[in-house]
Amino acid sequence: MGIAELQGYGYVALTSLLVLILYGYIYHLYTKKRDSDGHDYEEYSNMALRDDIDDAPVSAISDDKEK
Amino acid sequence: MFHWLEKHPFFFAVGVFLVISFAGLIEVVPSFADKSRPVIGTKPYSTLELAGRHVYIKNSCNACHSQLIRPFKSETDRYGHYSLSGEYAYDRPFLWGSKRTGPDLHRVGNYRTTDWHENHMLNPPSVVAGSIMPAYPWMFTNKANVDTAYAEQLTIAQFFSVPYNKAVPMKDGSTKVVKMGSTLADAHALALAEAKVIAADMKNQDVKDAVAAGNIPEIVALIAYLNSLK
Amino acid sequence: MENRPLEYDYTVAKMFMFATIALGIVGMLVGVILAFELAFPGVNTILGSGVAEYTNFSRLRPLHTDAIIFGFTLSGIFATWYYVGQRVLKVSMAESGLLMFLGKLHFWLYLVIVASVVVTLLAGITTSKEYAEFEWPIDIAVVIVWVVWGMSIFGLIGIRREKSLYISMWYYIATFLGIAMLYVFNNMEIPTILGTNGIGESGFGDWWHSVSMYAGANDAMVQWWYGHNAVAFGLTVPIVAMIYYFLPKESGQAIYSYKLSLLSFWGLMFVYIWAGGHHLIYSTIPDWVQTMASVFSVILILPSWGSAINMLLTMKGEWQQVASSPLIKFMVLGSTFYMFSTLEGPIQAIKSVNAIAHFTDWIVGHVHDGTLGWVGFMIMASLFHMAPRVFKREIYSKSLMATQFWIQTLGVVLYFTSMWIAGITQGMMWRAHDEFGNLAYSFIDTVTVLHPYYTIRAVGGTLYLVGFLLFSYNIYKTMSARPVEESELQNASPMGA
Repeated sequence: MGIAELQGYGYVALTSLLVLILYGYIYHLYTKKRDSDGHDYEEYSNMALRDDIDDAPVSAISDDKEK
Repeated sequence: MFHWLEKHPFFFAVGVFLVISFAGLIEVVPSFADKSRPVIGTKPYSTLELAGRHVYIKNSCNACHSQLIRPFKSETDRYGHYSLSGEYAYDRPFLWGSKRTGPDLHRVGNYRTTDWHENHMLNPPSVVAGSIMPAYPWMFTNKANVDTAYAEQLTIAQFFSVPYNKAVPMKDGSTKVVKMGSTLADAHALALAEAKVIAADMKNQDVKDAVAAGNIPEIVALIAYLNSLK
Repeated sequence: MENRPLEYDYTVAKMFMFATIALGIVGMLVGVILAFELAFPGVNTILGSGVAEYTNFSRLRPLHTDAIIFGFTLSGIFATWYYVGQRVLKVSMAESGLLMFLGKLHFWLYLVIVASVVVTLLAGITTSKEYAEFEWPIDIAVVIVWVVWGMSIFGLIGIRREKSLYISMWYYIATFLGIAMLYVFNNMEIPTILGTNGIGESGFGDWWHSVSMYAGANDAMVQWWYGHNAVAFGLTVPIVAMIYYFLPKESGQAIYSYKLSLLSFWGLMFVYIWAGGHHLIYSTIPDWVQTMASVFSVILILPSWGSAINMLLTMKGEWQQVASSPLIKFMVLGSTFYMFSTLEGPIQAIKSVNAIAHFTDWIVGHVHDGTLGWVGFMIMASLFHMAPRVFKREIYSKSLMATQFWIQTLGVVLYFTSMWIAGITQGMMWRAHDEFGNLAYSFIDTVTVLHPYYTIRAVGGTLYLVGFLLFSYNIYKTMSARPVEESELQNASPMGA
């Protein structure tokens, strides 16, 4: 088996994997709607809308440290 | 599972990098394995031709002229045989261009002469009525950079095994040797010998005098390069 | 210091805003000169034949493309990064002396590179590879500046208060990584001072000269893998980052679908790189690469439109803002031009269309409806949004902004329509045969016929430049006016009459 053939198989396998991941991602986003921290994905738009330095972060880094 | 990446910038960056490098690995890398071999009849550039190629690049001729004949009847009628990959084996960088404001030049050496180029570079509309190409009078006074051309020859011979001073097969079954100087003075002598052949066909007295005095104007080098494009 | 509340620090953002405006003027002015040179060749010697070498079309052309891509656009990207980055991460650059230092270092090193690029390109020192013309010493400097920017990006991320990265951040990170990868691989070259002859002598000729590591078709493939994706990661990805922040912020509307924005991101990342080969259709590179590039170019419509439609739908229910605010007009028309140009590109990448379009002015037209309509509009809109917040003043004149909008829109329309006609006309004339099967036109016939279109294009370009000068004036008057705004501003930017 030459290098070109090997590359062919590698290409098909990797592309299928990436397609699976992408569709898995779409499925996950639209069925769960929330991430593992319990935030609705759409809440993250607020990162732009409420971005003053004293606005409360959508998910603060400090939450992690308290846990 | 997916969400995790969004909060871990380092792994996110790794993920992005993997996804964007995939295409390059598949598309670009394989062709390097069997790198383009020269077709029969393709030979390395001589010192003067290479100096001329540098003049071509210095003035961005490639901004308006392509060196790539596509396999269509209209193009082969106009410019000659369509381009082959192996013909570019000694082109570093490639000069295919991306815009044809002027005509293709890949085989310009087949149908234009030294005399034509001399008049054309000095005043394009005098040769091609209606031409919008600017004139390049400074090429008649600026000196061609033979030192750099020699340095490049040495570099490509050393790093990429370009066959200088070796027999290269030609289309008619014969072989040809493109010489490279063993010292800088030698390289200058080789370039000057070539320049004298070109200058003999030219009319501009200043250029002829310069070459006779051992100096090579840019125009002579450029014409040597253009004549080599066949 | 302790008594003052913490504020975002826009020092570096301001510096890059000035660079954006200055380099925008230079790049566009050179562009207009070039356009007139094609329409009226006499312009080539406009400053006299003594300096014609430096005002000549071929010498100026790389200066135009590089001044716009790496001058205007890149400093616009940096300016918005140093603004948006702090805000969506909710951390101020004033909190870290190191980041402040890196930011300023980034700016000054960048300026040094810009200066050396201008000098070398005018002198004709170039590698000839499009958008990668710089010789190896400058390449090394570029890599250093890029690393400094990377340190500043990841440094800021390191001290953030917001755990999750906003979608704009994704795009900025992708810009950083994408350009880094492309630039390094395309500029692999060997300095010719290393060339050694039989008796051990080396160091001949110009020390800055180098030779590409790749030859012929390989070089072409790497170059257009780079060239196309420099457009992707320089003129698309970071501009999407801008619109994802500035449009929602200015209009006060949440992104229509945040989920869609995440999906489009991964789609764009995966698909874009493949399309590079469409610059080499019918060339001597392998056939399957050409076909692959063509197919992926068409697929590219999906993720591009995903972002663009998402942006337009963000305005849902708030379309009156488009009528009332010139700033929103810029952004909405910008995303419309993005859709337009990401549809046009794939069409040109279809093999049979490419056979006519390649090497003609239609390609030039395509590039410019993207850069003038999308990139230029978005960067100016971003700077307009930033100005009141950075300088704490209201925008000097709303009516001037509206005037600028219409002048530039007219300029862009003149530009791309004339280039379409020019490109298709020339493409068809090149391939026309008469009844005996001979070529119907000589090459020069196909050049002289373009004169009216070249003239219209030059007028369109001039209008755009005039608009940009109005923009610069507006920003200048904004920063030199008396301060009015005390507190941080919400959504819509305040504008004077």
